[in-house]
Amino acid sequence: MTYVKLQELIDAQFHHRCSTWERGNITNFVASDLMSDVLTVDDEDFVLVTSLTSDQVARTADIVGARAILLVNGKQPQNRLIELVGELNISLLSCKERMFKTCYILGRALSEEGISL
Amino acid sequence: MTAGFPLDPVTGPSRILELLYNMKVRDVMSADIKTASRHSPLRDIQILMKENSITGVPIVEGSRLVGMVSMDDIIRALEDGRIGHPAESGMSRNLIVLEDDMPLSFAISYMEKYHFGRFPVINKNRELVGIITSRDIIVHLLISINRELEQLEEQDRAPAQQALEGSLNRKWYTHKFDFEEAGKASTEIKKIMKEKRPDIPPKLLRRIAVAGYELEMNQVVHSEGGHIEFQLDADAAVIRAEDRGPGIPDLENALTEGWSTANEWVRSLGFGAGMGLPNTRRVADEFTIESDESGTRAKAIFYLYKSGEE
Repeated sequence: MTYVKLQELIDAQFHHRCSTWERGNITNFVASDLMSDVLTVDDEDFVLVTSLTSDQVARTADIVGARAILLVNGKQPQNRLIELVGELNISLLSCKERMFKTCYILGRALSEEGISL
Repeated sequence: MTAGFPLDPVTGPSRILELLYNMKVRDVMSADIKTASRHSPLRDIQILMKENSITGVPIVEGSRLVGMVSMDDIIRALEDGRIGHPAESGMSRNLIVLEDDMPLSFAISYMEKYHFGRFPVINKNRELVGIITSRDIIVHLLISINRELEQLEEQDRAPAQQALEGSLNRKWYTHKFDFEEAGKASTEIKKIMKEKRPDIPPKLLRRIAVAGYELEMNQVVHSEGGHIEFQLDADAAVIRAEDRGPGIPDLENALTEGWSTANEWVRSLGFGAGMGLPNTRRVADEFTIESDESGTRAKAIFYLYKSGEE
């Protein structure tokens, strides 16, 4: 899934685009508000879906090698988070939909692209 | 940092940062406070200020803080002819308070943020225990900085230790509940590894970064603060985490997934799910930990040229 498609599907807004976002092909999402849990996931190159907006979201994404962060529930990032994802070269998006609906829409789109979850 | 306080609590020298986090509001505040009741006439408070050369008087009911009368409030009362009215008619009610066990860095950020000359200080039971002014901060910081400088000069006279040939050592400090800085060490460890050992498998790099981050967050969430040391040798990377206590009473439980003593506030930041130590042990090639009241010492070792990893 491209970032353009993701943006259309859930009406997401970009706050930062990483240097390779146009070439990005999303094949996996990890959704959690517990960064501790995200740190135990062995997947790579995923988009982190969360409603947390602390700095630690960007740090965690960097540590586990996530490509992008998607904030749900209408959460808006603070300037600090935007600066930090800039430093770490991670894309940051937000959308108004709640976590479950976001995951449902994105999961369905991934299956349509032939990616099993 | 904005102009005003020439001490940056984020990028300042590490010795000074240590001071700012180790010194507590209670070490710096004045505990000898002049207070008044909500029924005291503003005129009496004006006299109290003059006699004691102070610019703000907390209004209390027993030991509970209910308001604050500042010099500005007195001037306003004088202008409006209300100087004979009771304190409660002229006091500020929406008070910004500090807690006595907060690090001094909090007091400095509050001074910058709110531009008040003083903050009332309360304890855990929300009782008024003191008052802190920018003057208090400056005086105590100068004393402590002096002491630190003396120590540094002392050390300078001692011969410097030579770093081991071919290995790299770095050290970062962590501070209790300092979530803004937490994670910097692991971000840098990852950067160092990418730079010095671009050939190591991405999965290994990630294991090292995750262990560093977990150990760092553990110190921020559970300890009084400590440090993270990173050592990169030819064939291994080692992360050592040492803190200043209070120690883990039940190590076996702490190594069990889901067991946590973190409070709600920490959990609301996305941590304290009880996965930290088990996860560190999982990702490390070797993991040892020991703990007593003086602190917790953990060590995670990663072998750089173990075969089989992508």
